[in-house]
Amino acid sequence: MEHIQRHPARVARAPSRLLDGLQRWLPKLVVAPTFVLVGIGVYAFMLWTGVLSFTSSSFLPVYDFVGLDQYAKLMNNDRWLTASANLGIFGGLFILSCLVIGVLLAIFLDQKIRQEGAIRTIYLYPMALSMIVTGTVWKWILNPGLGLEKLVHDWGWTSFSFDWLVNSDMAIYTIVIAAVWQASGFVMALFLAGLRGVDPAIIRAARVDGASLPLIYRKIILPSLRPVFFSAIMVLSHIAIKSFDLVMAMTAGGPGYSTDLPAVFMYANTFTRGQMGLGSASAMLMLGAFLALLVPYLYSELREKRHD
Amino acid sequence: MTDATRSGLRLSRIGIYAVLLLAALVYLVPLFVMLLTSFKTPLDIRTGNLLALPTDWTTVGWSKAWSSACTGVECEGVRGYFWNSFKMTVPAVLISTLLGAFNGYVLSKWKFRGSDLFFAMLLFGCFVPFQVVLLPMAATLGKLGLANTTAGLVLVHVIYGVAFTTLFFRNYYVAIPDALVKAARLDGAGFFTIFFRILLPMSTPIFMVSLIWQFTQIWNDFLFGVVFASGDSQPITVALNNLVNTSTGVKEYNVDMAAAMIAALPTLVVYVVAGKYFIRGLTAGSVKG
Amino acid sequence: MSELALRSIRKTYPGAAEETLKGIDIEIASGEFLILVGPSGCGKSTLMNTIAGLESITDGAIVLDGTDISGVEPKDRDIAMVFQSYALYPTMSVRENIAFGLKIRGLPKDDIEQEVQRVADLLQISHLLDKKPARLSGGQQQRVAMGRALARRPRIYLFDEPLSNLDAKLRVEMRTEIKKLHQRLKTTIVYVTHDQIEAMTLADRIAVLKDGELQQLGTPKEVYDTPANLFVAGFMGSPAMSFVPVTVAQGEQGLYGEVIGDDGARTALPLPAYLADRVGQTVTLGIRPEHITQPQDQKNGQALVTTGRFTIEVTEPTGPDVIALIRLNDTGVHCRIDPEHPVTWGESADLMFDMKKVVFFDPDSGLRIPPQ
Repeated sequence: MEHIQRHPARVARAPSRLLDGLQRWLPKLVVAPTFVLVGIGVYAFMLWTGVLSFTSSSFLPVYDFVGLDQYAKLMNNDRWLTASANLGIFGGLFILSCLVIGVLLAIFLDQKIRQEGAIRTIYLYPMALSMIVTGTVWKWILNPGLGLEKLVHDWGWTSFSFDWLVNSDMAIYTIVIAAVWQASGFVMALFLAGLRGVDPAIIRAARVDGASLPLIYRKIILPSLRPVFFSAIMVLSHIAIKSFDLVMAMTAGGPGYSTDLPAVFMYANTFTRGQMGLGSASAMLMLGAFLALLVPYLYSELREKRHD
Repeated sequence: MTDATRSGLRLSRIGIYAVLLLAALVYLVPLFVMLLTSFKTPLDIRTGNLLALPTDWTTVGWSKAWSSACTGVECEGVRGYFWNSFKMTVPAVLISTLLGAFNGYVLSKWKFRGSDLFFAMLLFGCFVPFQVVLLPMAATLGKLGLANTTAGLVLVHVIYGVAFTTLFFRNYYVAIPDALVKAARLDGAGFFTIFFRILLPMSTPIFMVSLIWQFTQIWNDFLFGVVFASGDSQPITVALNNLVNTSTGVKEYNVDMAAAMIAALPTLVVYVVAGKYFIRGLTAGSVKG
Repeated sequence: MSELALRSIRKTYPGAAEETLKGIDIEIASGEFLILVGPSGCGKSTLMNTIAGLESITDGAIVLDGTDISGVEPKDRDIAMVFQSYALYPTMSVRENIAFGLKIRGLPKDDIEQEVQRVADLLQISHLLDKKPARLSGGQQQRVAMGRALARRPRIYLFDEPLSNLDAKLRVEMRTEIKKLHQRLKTTIVYVTHDQIEAMTLADRIAVLKDGELQQLGTPKEVYDTPANLFVAGFMGSPAMSFVPVTVAQGEQGLYGEVIGDDGARTALPLPAYLADRVGQTVTLGIRPEHITQPQDQKNGQALVTTGRFTIEVTEPTGPDVIALIRLNDTGVHCRIDPEHPVTWGESADLMFDMKKVVFFDPDSGLRIPPQ
């Protein structure tokens, strides 16, 4: 029978109260810096901008209170209205195109393709580029005299014309093209991951039932990927609302302000044209648009959880 | 399976490959054009077209872009700004990743009352359109004496990047069983010992994800660069935009493209070398639900 | 070895409507192997976590060798725990895993080395010392987890369902290992399991828990033969005890309860004399399968033994027995029959009832009626 000995080194010391108290506070202490940084950097600053939007600040902040003056000005501001409309056009086309292209490519890639990894890498690399780079390249490619137009001419189709970049009606669509090129790979990646998560047994059951593959995709698989659709739309909307880099690089809002977007408007008014109050109001409206998207999304998420 | 079905299937396989290959071309062509143009002379650019090979391969575009092109007032090329970007990106990446690791650790293994609310607050903060914080941040940086400095940019990127890194680490640590932490506590390990001796050694994959994701985001940023920095502290994205869009005299597209390549190279290289971590970051950050 | 006393332990989680632990009192003697058993949600894991200090208690006291440790940090309680998932540190070798706690306590390197070797020899894992946990099988990981606990030489060992992740065969092997270790080291062990067979085979005493309350604390024999209430009776033993409602009646040769088979046949089961003050009332009869067998000649004529004829509904041969299902008073009842004495389902057979160890419960309170 073994004799159990106490470890001589382990003397029954009274638990150190000070250290234990510290341990309880340590987790909170550790996240405190982040709490302060984000609390101020995001929330306090948001409030500050909100306050400014109710003032008449121009080049310098002035803390008078002018009610909804700036917002009224926005509603009457041609440039802002154009920018907002552009956001709708750009956003809508951008999201739709990315979804269609992304889903299609994902479905095709899901068909046991050889070199799938390499192909996926190619589709996704644009996401690793800065939007400035993307804008710069596409600005060159769509260059009215020397870009796409000249290429097609050299191939024989001499009556082809592509001056969208300098055409105030069509310029916004060039932004769409560049943005879709950059982000559709991301949608593809999301959906490919989602497709891979579908239970293969369901597909087998459907095939035994006699359904063709396209039908299976349309009626069974895609509907089951609703959460992925939501995620994709959320992130794409987020990218669209923030789109600033791309526009600055490709058109700087031009010709005129036909490719203006709210983000560009805000920057121009706040930092270049000395209209801080107006710029702040536009920023708050951008926040509003973001919340308008977020709240239904959260609501539908929470509702689904309750159903579970 | 009938012959018709088999050939039908083969046809559709060919169709699928065709579409995929075509798409790959569409994605690759801009990069190809960018490279090609950067090695052309201005004459070649004027007389040739986008896809034409240079009759005269030259690196003059690159050398000009690097050291003598005009980026606004200065004509020193993008060399200085390239290093600016590094000076800004590296510290910001390291600090935000470290903070994210500690935050993720606390939020997954040392939850306290309000920690879930704190996490939600962080998440919301990282998705908000940054236009709503630009002006106050500019004013604050001015008051702190950090306006137009690299340090100021680092601070900004840390503040707005820590939410993402926290998300990465928290989700990663949540998947590690709590029993591990309990066993360590019984063994006598305290808060920091558990982190450094047990969790950290297991964290290499998520560190990679965080580092690579943050590097890409911060290097590629333009908004913060153009608002909070000017002149000597500008990152290369701002310099590139200035170079391309300030039209003094004849446009030299080869220089433009070379400059764009220079700006794109670091993140492209990172992507090629460690792309899988970048992709994990992409999907982790958005399919969080 | 150490004594542990749990005095009126109560725990309510913040925001919860109900208490998780409703006042648990258990005194554990030095060197005792105590098992906490109960269905999931009964609070046994919570209780174990409070002993370890990983969770706080709302009321009551945990007293270790006379000192109240209720407010002491886990690392200072001198308690070691073996987890269901083993919780081995994945980036450390087996050696480092075992040594971790000792290193933190500042033991000199030579002592640590000695301790690791001692434990490795004891558990036969010396050949695994330099491997990482991912390379070990489940059983080997379990041993390392035990080794980590043993190396600390704590006053109390806590085992939280350590065998639940092992396959059935391995579980039986490890059970024997743990029993042998306990016999050799005479350590005080508190062990949680949901498997009542494990509880019966390993424990010195068993504490049966349900919904945060202690149902019974006793030796395996006590808990099996004289369960305190319906719950304990139905929980311990496999196949489970059957509960049949019978009315106590007075007959010529003593008390009896009438049971009616599903074919209408009536049999009078002899009842013990201590139920005399319940004549005319209904009691719940608790009978185990081993009490109903094929007719055995040597028991013929004994008091509290009788035979009857019943229809066999189902037979389940298990190898050493055949478990047969019959119906008494509309209740399904299991019987244990010798396979050499074949019965066929659908047909009736003679069965012998040995009422000596049958227990009785008050149908309203669920408590066992004690013999006066």
